[in-house]
Amino acid sequence: MFFPVNFNLADNVATLSSIERSILKALAMDDLVTIEKLAQATGLEPDQIRRGIEWLKFKGLISVVENSTFVYSLTQDGLAAAEHGLPERRLLNAVSAGRLTIADVLASGVLQEQEINAAIANAKRNRWIEFTKNVSGSIIKPSISSTQSPEEKLLQKLAQGNLEHSMLSEQEKTALDLLRKRPGYIVGKEIKTTKVSLSESGKRLGLSLDSQPQDHEEEERRLSPELITSGRWRQTKLSHIDVQAPVPSLFLGRTHPLTDIINEVKEIFIGLGFSEIDGPIIQSSFWNFDALFTPQDHPAREMQDTFYLSGQKMQIDATQDLILNISKVHEDNWGYTWNKDEAKLAVLRTHTTPITLKYLADSKPDSARIFSIGRVFRNEKVSFKHLVEFHQVEGVVAAPNVTLRDLMGLQKEFYSRMGIKKVKFWPTFFPYTEPSLQSMIYNERLGKWVELFGMGIFRPEVTRPLQIKNRVLAWGGGLERIAMLRFGLDDVRDLYSNKLSWLRSVPKCQL
Amino acid sequence: MPVVDVVLKRLERLVPGKKAAEIIEALPFIALDIEGIDEQNKIARIEYNPNRPDFSSDYGIARALKGLLGIEKGIPSFKLAGKSNCKILVDPSIRSTRQYIVGLVAKNGNLDDETIRQLIAMQEDLHNGIGRRRRKASIGIHNLDAISFPVTYKAVGSEFSFIPLGSSIRQTIEQILESEIGKRYRYILGTEGRYPVIIDRNNTVLSFPPIINGNATKIDTSCKNIFVEVTATDLKTAEDMLAIIAVTLYDAGFDIQTLSISNVGQQKSQDRNSKKPLPKGDARPSLTTTVPRMQQKVMIIDVKQVNSMLGLRLSASQVASCLEKSRLGAKVAKKDTIRCIIPRYRIDIMHPVDLVEEVAIGFGVYNLEPTLPAAAAVGHRSQLSVHMDIIRSTMIGAGFLESLSSGLSGRKVQYELAERKTPEEDKALAVHSPKSVEHEVLRESLIPSLMQSLSGNVHEEYPQKLFEIGKVFKKKDVIHEYYSVGAVVAHAEADYTEAKSVLQALMELCFGKSVTTVPAKDPTFIEGRTAQIIIDDSIIGVIGEVSPSVVENFKLRMPVSAFEINLSLLFP
Repeated sequence: MFFPVNFNLADNVATLSSIERSILKALAMDDLVTIEKLAQATGLEPDQIRRGIEWLKFKGLISVVENSTFVYSLTQDGLAAAEHGLPERRLLNAVSAGRLTIADVLASGVLQEQEINAAIANAKRNRWIEFTKNVSGSIIKPSISSTQSPEEKLLQKLAQGNLEHSMLSEQEKTALDLLRKRPGYIVGKEIKTTKVSLSESGKRLGLSLDSQPQDHEEEERRLSPELITSGRWRQTKLSHIDVQAPVPSLFLGRTHPLTDIINEVKEIFIGLGFSEIDGPIIQSSFWNFDALFTPQDHPAREMQDTFYLSGQKMQIDATQDLILNISKVHEDNWGYTWNKDEAKLAVLRTHTTPITLKYLADSKPDSARIFSIGRVFRNEKVSFKHLVEFHQVEGVVAAPNVTLRDLMGLQKEFYSRMGIKKVKFWPTFFPYTEPSLQSMIYNERLGKWVELFGMGIFRPEVTRPLQIKNRVLAWGGGLERIAMLRFGLDDVRDLYSNKLSWLRSVPKCQL
Repeated sequence: MPVVDVVLKRLERLVPGKKAAEIIEALPFIALDIEGIDEQNKIARIEYNPNRPDFSSDYGIARALKGLLGIEKGIPSFKLAGKSNCKILVDPSIRSTRQYIVGLVAKNGNLDDETIRQLIAMQEDLHNGIGRRRRKASIGIHNLDAISFPVTYKAVGSEFSFIPLGSSIRQTIEQILESEIGKRYRYILGTEGRYPVIIDRNNTVLSFPPIINGNATKIDTSCKNIFVEVTATDLKTAEDMLAIIAVTLYDAGFDIQTLSISNVGQQKSQDRNSKKPLPKGDARPSLTTTVPRMQQKVMIIDVKQVNSMLGLRLSASQVASCLEKSRLGAKVAKKDTIRCIIPRYRIDIMHPVDLVEEVAIGFGVYNLEPTLPAAAAVGHRSQLSVHMDIIRSTMIGAGFLESLSSGLSGRKVQYELAERKTPEEDKALAVHSPKSVEHEVLRESLIPSLMQSLSGNVHEEYPQKLFEIGKVFKKKDVIHEYYSVGAVVAHAEADYTEAKSVLQALMELCFGKSVTTVPAKDPTFIEGRTAQIIIDDSIIGVIGEVSPSVVENFKLRMPVSAFEINLSLLFP
C-alpha cells in the first residue's frame, strides 16, 4: 500500500506548478466538479488536468470522488424504431388503416412475425387497441386515444443524443426499464466520472494562493528533452505520480478472431507436412457435383440447398475425355442419361472439395499432402446454427498405401494440436467417399460430444475418371464450429456481426 | 437427413435380449445418429443416411442391429410365400405419363397402430428420398380385401372423379389437383391433361398416383391382408422401393406373395428393363412379369484389398465374419477372395469399396486403432495466403481492426444504401431462390460491407477503423473473382487526408511503390473528394470521403473516409 505524504504548506507552497495553481483556484470558486468542468474553467487540456489532480491528490490538497453513472444510447435497431415507430405503434397504424386481424397486419408487412406478440402486449398495455370477437374470430379495434407512450417519448429523446441515467425523470426511468427489456434497442454503458474537491488543507491554501508569486521555480513533472540535453535534470527533482491511476483505453488494430483460428489451423497443417491450395468460389456444377459422383437428380443439387447464379452457365474446365469419363460413370452406376447442360450451371461452391479434386486431376501427384481453407455456401435459412456462407477446412492425403486407420490417426493428431484430446469415430455416409467416418469430440464447456469433421477415402468412381491412381484420404468440416467452441459462442452469427465490443475484447491468447 | 421415430419398447422386442440402453449405445456404429430421446414416451428420434432407405423403419434398424450385436448373422431371413392370383393390367394409355408399376401382396399379418405409423413413415421417407419427392416413384398401400382383381393401371382425363383418402365426397381430378397435396405434386404429372389411376374390376379407385390414394381401400388395424403398388417414371427405383417394403412387411409378420403384371394390347416384345424411356408411339411389350423380384447380387472381394484399405491384417474367414455381422452373405472362395451375397434390399452397395465399409462396420469402428502415417512432404502456405497476410499485418500495424462479412450480400446494402449503380441485368451476379434478401447478390465491393459493420457499432467508442480482406466478384465476358482490401475510418475528424496517409503507407510498406490519386467520380463518395488509385499506370482502386447521404443511409453520425484496392491486380 502506498500512503501519500502530507503536503507541508509552509515549505512547499512555492513549488506548486501553474497547472496545480489553476486547478486549486478553479476549485476555490466551484467545488466538487468533474475533470471536464475543470478543463473548461481553467482552459487547460483534460490530460493536464488529470496530471495535476494526481499531483494534488498526492500532496493531500484535494480529494477525489470516483462515481459511476450509466449512459444510454440507441443501437441501429433503436434508431430505426425511433424513425419508423415501435412495433406497437406500427400495429396501431396498421389497425387504424383498416387491417383488423393479426393475419391481415402480418400480410401488410409492417411487422415481422416475431414482433407481433410484443406489439399486441404493448399496444394493449398502452390502451391503444382492444380485441373483440365477431363471427369470423377475433378482430382488433383501435381505441380512441393513442397518445405517445412514455417509451416513445424516451426513444425520441435518445434519438437526439445519449442520455445519462441521473438526468432522467422517474417516468423516463420506468420507460427506460421497459425499453431495455426488449432486446436490441438500447445499450447502456457505465461511465466512470471523477469529481474533485478541495481537502481541508487545500481550502486553507486556496486563500493564500493569490499572494504567492506566479512563476516560482518548479518541481518538474515531466522529463523533457530540454532537461536532458541541458543537464538541468541533475538539479531538478522529478515529482512522484500516482502509478495506480487509471489511464485512457487504447483500441489496437487486430486480426479477426476467426482469422486467428484460420492461422492456427494452417500452422497445424504445415507442421504435419501439408501444403495449401486455393481456387475459385464460383464453380461449374461439373466440378462441384458431377466429378464427386453426385447424381444430377440428387436432392443436394436442388435450388433449395445450393446457390446457383441466375442465368449463368460456365465452360467446363476439363478435357473432353474427362467429361466423357465422368458422364459414363454416372450413366453406368446411377442409370440415367447424363446432361452436360446441367453440369455447366454455375454454383457457389458447396464445399472446397472441387478445388482438391481439380488439383489432383491436374497434377496427378504420386503422393501429396494438401489442405485448403475457404468459404463455402449453402442456401439455408440463417439461424443460430446455420450461416449461408462459412469456412470449410479440408485436408487430403494421396499416397499408394494409406489406410482408413491412417486417416483416423491424422484426425486425432490434428485435434490434439488444437487442444482437443477426446475424440471418437462413427461410420457415416458421403456420396463420394467409402468407407466414410465422422468424428466426435468431447467439449468440456458443453459437457457433451460434438460432431466435427467428416472423412473418408475417395470412391473409385471419383478417382478413376480423373485418372488419379493412388488412394486419396480426405477430411473436412466447418471452421466456425471450432471457433464457436473455442470462443464459447452459442450463436454462429456472432462470428460475423463485427461487434466492436466483442472484437476489442476477445483475448488473442486462448489458453 | 431423414429421421425415424422409434418406440424403444418395440425395438427391444425386435432385438431380443438387448436393453434399450445397450441398443442406443450401438446405433452410431451402424451409422445412425440419435437426434434426441423423448424420455417421457421412450421414443428415440434416429437420423439415418439417405443411402440406407432400408433404415426408414424400426424393422430395418433392428435387422442391422441384430448383426452388430451378434444376435443373428448373414443375410436376414426372407422367403416369398408363392404366387398370389392378383394381377395388374397395364393399359397402353399410361405410357406417356407415369409408365411403370410394380407391386406385391402381403397376407395373414396383424397391423397395430405403431406398425401402421412405421409403414406410413417409411412410405414418406421413401417418397422423399429415393423417390425424389414422388417424382421418380411413389407407393400406395391398400386393404387387399377391399379390392376385386385384376386392377388396371391407366390414364384418365381431368373430369374423372372418385372419393380421395380421408374424404367422403367424390372429387374430380381437377379438384384434387387444386387441393393442398395436389398443388404440391401436380408438377410431376406435366401438362398433357392425362392422369394415371389404378382401378379395380368394379371400377373402385385404389389410387391417383403420385398424388393420393382412394378412400375405399385404406388400411386400418383390422386389415390382415395388404396390397402394395409402386408407380414410377424409373423402373429401377420402383423395384428398389418394393424390395425394401417386401422385407419390412415380412419382418412385420406378413407372408409376401408375388403378383403378375401384364401389358395389354401390345404385340412387339422389347426388354421391359431398358432404363431409357421408350420413344413415344413405340409399341410396348405384351409381356407378363412377376414381381417383386428379390434376386440377390454377388460380388467378389479381395481380402488383401480390404486389409490394405482399412489398415488391418484380417484373415479371409475374419473378413467373411465381419460381412456377416453386416447382414450380408459371405463365403471364403479361393485365393484370398470372398464371395459376397448382397440381399436385394441393400441398394446402397454398388462397388467392392462399399463392402470394405461393411467389413469396417462388422469389425466395429470402435475397434479400429488410429495410426499416424509418416510425413513424406514439407508443407507450405499458398503464395496467395502469404500475400494476404502481408496486407493484413500491415493494416493492423496502421491501427485497423479486421472485420469479416459475407461475400453474398443484399441488394439493399450493396446498391441502395451505398448508392452504387446496379449492374445491367446480364452483368448481375445474383443467386437463384435465396431464402433471405440479405443474401442475394455477390458483392462487387467491400465498402458497403464495411459501412454495414460501422453501422452496427454506432454506440461504440470512436475512432473506429476497420478493414476487410475478401473476395469481390465482377462479370465481364466471364466471371472474375478478385481479392480486395477495403478500409474505413470513422470519427469526428475523419477525412480524405487520413485515408490517403494509410493508403500511401500500405503501398510503400508492402510494395515499395508510391501511389497516385487522380480525381474521379463515384456515387458512394463526395464529389471533389474522390479519387482513383493508380499504381504503375493502372487503376487499382478508389479512395474518398463517403458522401453524407450514404453515411446517413447507414445510420451513422460520424464522417467516414474509405479506400479499396483490388489486390489481385497487385499480386499477379
